[in-house]
Amino acid sequence: MKKHIKSVISLTAICAVVSLLLAVTNYVTDPIIKKQESDAVGKALTVVLPNGEDFQTVELTEYKLPETVIEAYSEKNGGYVFKMTTTGYASGLVILCGIDADGKVAGATCIASNETNKAETEYGKNVVNATLDSIDKVDTVGGSTKTTTAYRNAVKDALNSFVILNGGSVDLRSEEEILADNLKTALPDADEFTPIFITEDMEGIKDIYSANNGAGFVFVTKDKFIATDLQGNVLTETEQEIKTKVSSAAQKQIGVTLTEIDITKYPDMPTTVEKAYKTSTGNFVLELRAAGFGIRGDEWYGPSGEYIKIKVSVTSGGKIITCKTVSQKESDGIGSACKEPAFYTQFNGKEESNYADIDAISGATITTNGYKTAISKVFEAVKILKGEN
Amino acid sequence: MDSFKSLVVILLSSVLVNNYVLSRFLGICPFLGVSKKLNSASGMGLAVIFVMVMATAVTWPIQHYLLTPNGLGYMQTIVFILVIAALVQFTEMALKKFVPSLHKSLGVYLPLITTNCAVLGVTIDNINEHNFNFLQSIVNSLGCGLGFLLAMVLFSGMRSKIEESEIPESFKGLPATLIAASFVSLAFFGFAGIVDNLFA
Amino acid sequence: MTKNSNMSVLLKGLLLENPVFVLILGTCPTLATTTTLIGAIGMGLAATAVLICSNAVISLLRKVIPESVRIPCYIVIIAGFVTVVQMFIHAYLPTLYELLGVYLALITVNCIILGRAEMFASKNSVGKSVLDGIGMGLGFTLALVSIALIREVFGAGTFFGMEIPVLSNFKIEFLTKAPGGFLVYGIMIAAVSKITKGKAPYKKEFSCANCPSASFCGKQNCEERKGN
Repeated sequence: MKKHIKSVISLTAICAVVSLLLAVTNYVTDPIIKKQESDAVGKALTVVLPNGEDFQTVELTEYKLPETVIEAYSEKNGGYVFKMTTTGYASGLVILCGIDADGKVAGATCIASNETNKAETEYGKNVVNATLDSIDKVDTVGGSTKTTTAYRNAVKDALNSFVILNGGSVDLRSEEEILADNLKTALPDADEFTPIFITEDMEGIKDIYSANNGAGFVFVTKDKFIATDLQGNVLTETEQEIKTKVSSAAQKQIGVTLTEIDITKYPDMPTTVEKAYKTSTGNFVLELRAAGFGIRGDEWYGPSGEYIKIKVSVTSGGKIITCKTVSQKESDGIGSACKEPAFYTQFNGKEESNYADIDAISGATITTNGYKTAISKVFEAVKILKGEN
Repeated sequence: MDSFKSLVVILLSSVLVNNYVLSRFLGICPFLGVSKKLNSASGMGLAVIFVMVMATAVTWPIQHYLLTPNGLGYMQTIVFILVIAALVQFTEMALKKFVPSLHKSLGVYLPLITTNCAVLGVTIDNINEHNFNFLQSIVNSLGCGLGFLLAMVLFSGMRSKIEESEIPESFKGLPATLIAASFVSLAFFGFAGIVDNLFA
Repeated sequence: MTKNSNMSVLLKGLLLENPVFVLILGTCPTLATTTTLIGAIGMGLAATAVLICSNAVISLLRKVIPESVRIPCYIVIIAGFVTVVQMFIHAYLPTLYELLGVYLALITVNCIILGRAEMFASKNSVGKSVLDGIGMGLGFTLALVSIALIREVFGAGTFFGMEIPVLSNFKIEFLTKAPGGFLVYGIMIAAVSKITKGKAPYKKEFSCANCPSASFCGKQNCEERKGN
């Protein structure tokens, strides 16, 4: 027993002495290590913010910053450096971005990533001098669109964070969130909305959304969100002129039903027309495919091998009411612009005589031409469908 | 789902790509010493897996709930090695008392594990190198242990061939064993990149 | 034999009882840190410092430490010195600290240190133990440097990080990778055994006899394993 006690005591004593020794050493070396680490961090920060001096860590819990921002450092002259993580093509990117006191990007660098194309190693140069207004106009790198888009969005988050840290406020919502918020404000009784595909010729209405719970509709004009009940009575207080427009649009669209037409009965129907419907008001809705860059002729060609799917509503007189890209797999960042409303809404209101009068997608002639060819078939199809009636 | 995927990636990379023995050189002593026969190699391997997982389960909470919050990060090495030594000791006693049959097959390898740098290495790596959470740490330790077992078993097969071959006098014994280890390690090179691209 | 004269205690570690090439101890850092000369020297000297200190303290306490808990005591003392060395390197040589990484902490379980504590320091005077520590430590460093020299010069085509004009165009990258480490080490052991033939206690096998763990895993266990 005595022997055991002696063993325990001596082991404990040795542990205590060693711990003491370590504590003393730690006391001596810890400040040096800390200083060195902060110097190293400062040095890394200087790369993206060359004029930065005397960096201090910013306590992020006090601010509501974009989620990508994980660390922030302020410096003496009013600039900031933000560290962000984001997801690129395959995995995460860690980006350091320095913003100078004027709110311009002073530098950006990717400090860790696992991407395949390595576009992120050089991309930082492209965003230098960008501001919150110009950052969206910085080009992404073809072939690494996902990575560079994520990079650019992270830099945008840094610019937004800069504004927030300087006491400003920034709308951090995405476009979808803004839309959802606007719809909700117009019709507070509704929970979720489904867009309605407009089949009737109406004036001044961009989009119509139907509340999923039957609370009514929201009509989107150029800059307003106007709610109506299920019968089309305008609920939102607004100018009489707009009220009239909305209620006339509501009278036209609400209650319209679609009947599918058996297109196999029409031997002359262009093969690109996949489905056709007739509305209860005598207009037509067509679903058709366009051969973009992915397809040429009837052969599989190019990167995706998939058609662009388009949905069009058209009057029996051959005037396009609504045109929408349903799906596409064109080259990311180039032909894929055909999915943007800015492109396809150009066809709204067009007729056979002037449908080709639109701005092409830059750098994607094949996609644009394929789209136009598909639209030309709309007029052909309407004539065939009408001829048989 | 995503976290499950990350666990699979951790497991596979620790078994194959970053094999502790063959690419990080941890646990070489038992690798060279106890790999002569298949049954001793697998016995040692199993004992290592057991101790690695147990040690990680104990050291991870110690580091994150005891050392780091109290600014005692510098006690890491000393605490971890004591934990491992104690764990090995207790495991041996427990096995001897409650599962004598298992003690007979694994027990003899347990004391050797205290000074197996792979065990201390994996507990430190989980915290300093990878900054894994608890579950990831356990999976990584399991993977490292499995990788150790795999290397041992493969190598024991190779060694039995070497024992019978004609080699120059100076190379007999250890040098030949090391050169054989070099070939096994070379074979494991083939796994590099597999795991990265498996889920990409 | 003048086995116990101070000079021979110091010198035997360099070649005849070189811990790496002859006693085959500390294989892990030998393979892991010899891709660069800087790493090898850093590791060698760090281990030497720990070895000298731990040998001195253990020899000093050899009559105080009870037999039954001597291994835990040794481990605590060694781990303590390792951490001290680690903290100083972190503070003053951060690049080396990054380079050696986890292997620095793993000096704790380096068989050389525990082995010398058990085989030498626990039985000899402080002075001799320190000399033994210096000799073994330098022998360890020498071995690491000689392996690193081959691996860095031929594998990476550099010498202390500086490019060697012609060699850097014909580098054998294999040598800097894991398999190259095993290969060079194997060949070096063979070469040393050829040079010291008959003089060094050359180990044919990696067996329990030179495993420092043998002392506390118990002879009986080792016999058992032989029987397996």
